Amino acid sequence: MRSLTRAGAAVWLAVVLHLYGVRPASAQGRPASPFSVAGGRVLFAGDLSITVGAPDPGWFTYTDYETSSLRRVRAGLAVEARITSDLSALFEARGETGRGVEPYAWYLRYRPWKGLVNLQAGRIPPVFGAYARRSYPQNNPLIGDPLLYQYLTALRPDAVPATVDDLLAMRARGWLVRYPVGDAEWRNGVPPIAASRWGTGVQALVAGQRLEGAVSVTLGSLSRPLARGPIRAPQVAGRVSWKPVVGLVVGISGSRSEFLDRDLIEILPALVRDHPYRQRAVGFDGECSWGYWLVRGEFVASGWSVPDLEAPPIRGPLRARGGYIEARRRVGPRLYVAARADRLAFSTVEGSRGSRTWDADVSRLELGAGTTLRRGLLLKGSYLYHQRGGGRVREDHLWAAQLLWWF
Amino acid sequence: MTSVIERVGHRIPGSAVALFCVAATCPLAFTAPAPGSIRGRVTVSDYRVTVEPRPMPSSLGGTHAPRPVELRPAVVYLESAPRGAFERDDARATMDQRNETFVPHVLAITVGTTVDFPNSDVIFHNVFSLSKAKTFDLGRYARGKSKSVRFDRPGVVQVFCDIHSHMSAYILVFSHRYFSVTDAEGRYALEGVPSGAYTVVVWHEGAVRETRAVIVPATGNAAVADFAIR
Repeated sequence: MRSLTRAGAAVWLAVVLHLYGVRPASAQGRPASPFSVAGGRVLFAGDLSITVGAPDPGWFTYTDYETSSLRRVRAGLAVEARITSDLSALFEARGETGRGVEPYAWYLRYRPWKGLVNLQAGRIPPVFGAYARRSYPQNNPLIGDPLLYQYLTALRPDAVPATVDDLLAMRARGWLVRYPVGDAEWRNGVPPIAASRWGTGVQALVAGQRLEGAVSVTLGSLSRPLARGPIRAPQVAGRVSWKPVVGLVVGISGSRSEFLDRDLIEILPALVRDHPYRQRAVGFDGECSWGYWLVRGEFVASGWSVPDLEAPPIRGPLRARGGYIEARRRVGPRLYVAARADRLAFSTVEGSRGSRTWDADVSRLELGAGTTLRRGLLLKGSYLYHQRGGGRVREDHLWAAQLLWWF
Repeated sequence: MTSVIERVGHRIPGSAVALFCVAATCPLAFTAPAPGSIRGRVTVSDYRVTVEPRPMPSSLGGTHAPRPVELRPAVVYLESAPRGAFERDDARATMDQRNETFVPHVLAITVGTTVDFPNSDVIFHNVFSLSKAKTFDLGRYARGKSKSVRFDRPGVVQVFCDIHSHMSAYILVFSHRYFSVTDAEGRYALEGVPSGAYTVVVWHEGAVRETRAVIVPATGNAAVADFAIR
């Protein structure tokens, strides 16, 4: 109830700010310039999305145990305060069904030498990959998130399986997982990369016209970024992007971090306690646009090392590979169509009943369209087809609609 | 309200000189009003505006050029034009895309004008409009390329870039020629206005900001109307 009240307050604030910024006879709704105060030194932006969709008994679209990305209300408010021409303070709060209002981002941005170097410190956007920085509804032509950034695997950072069989028992049920070592509560697993939370740390970017390089040191891991937390060592991530021609961007990313909680490691047997339990990932992303087309794709390989506790043991890191390609075609000033093909596959482990992938491979095809009702007001519709190599529900057809308002 | 001289000059060009000479020697010529004008100055408080993009906490940063300053003039026009002033024009005009702004920010044209939208930036732009007077989407195109739109209906067309939400511009499409975009000093001039009573309208940034009754004298002198809008 309290979270609903907070979400309602955020929505109310967004509505007031929006109305305040609208001039009475503007031709297409809101003005182009963001709402600002203090002589343009403090700028505001925001969004509100209401998503309704079919029930998802296979938990394909859930971002945690309670929230499906197809059935939620989300409001966001971003503020930028320009302290000097080179120094800004940025803040973003999000209210979401089931989560209440959270400070999503808060950091200082320092941009000396005409922005050739950018330094950011605080709760900052992730450097790795591409989607996590554009997971806003207005930047997503569809409604669902890519599997890499949303699908809940059977891994948890605060609890681990003692044997391979413990792990395989949780196969294809990442929305609610329990293991014998660590936190004994049933909780959801983590996605390969979390798009719904950012970590605290520092980031540096060297920007050129065609080439950019960024590196960050943050708390948590790709799967679970943290604002503060029980991790032995920070995550180090980097990305290099190249724009060979206008309209084409390709990037390569890498990340290494501790994955397991410090509290969990302290209760492990002494023999395995000092081993680093890491998540390592490498990713490739690309975006190409021309005319009425926009095409994006991403491929990520990630591995998590977990303790080797009892027989049959988990040997070597657990790996996952995933990728998606999405395309959007504008078919008129008000209308576009879009599609995304998505796949997430897992490595094989040897259990007492034979070899199997440690989580069930999953695929998704999403087809959708969006229409601009007026500038800043978008209505989307999507059809999602899922297929999974395990679990109670192996195939699913879902639909969703989203009304999005942004300023 | 259309004057004799205007009627002759526009509709019977072959005999215009002869008819004008005859008219000038007869008493009717002294009663026929000479075309006048309406001039003045519009003071706009936010004429020079620094264009600010939306806050983007999700950005890793990047090179930043100085934020461009956009000039946002007013448009002054007659609410009701004299009879005979409604003409189509096959003219061309240009609205450039430069430093992530539309230049000019305000363009006033007559119905039938084709507007070119060249891209002078090193990045893609995607010009579009959802206005009732003209709905269009030019897609993404790079520097050095240009696309065009012909405006066939009068009205206010607000133009945006689909990629850069802080880019905006206005195109005012008139069915007559009695309009003027203010210059850097706020000056405007509506020339060739037949004598009579008119309502002058001042438009700025998407809204009619002021209207005023103005009488153009039969002497051919200019009527003066100054405005101050905040």
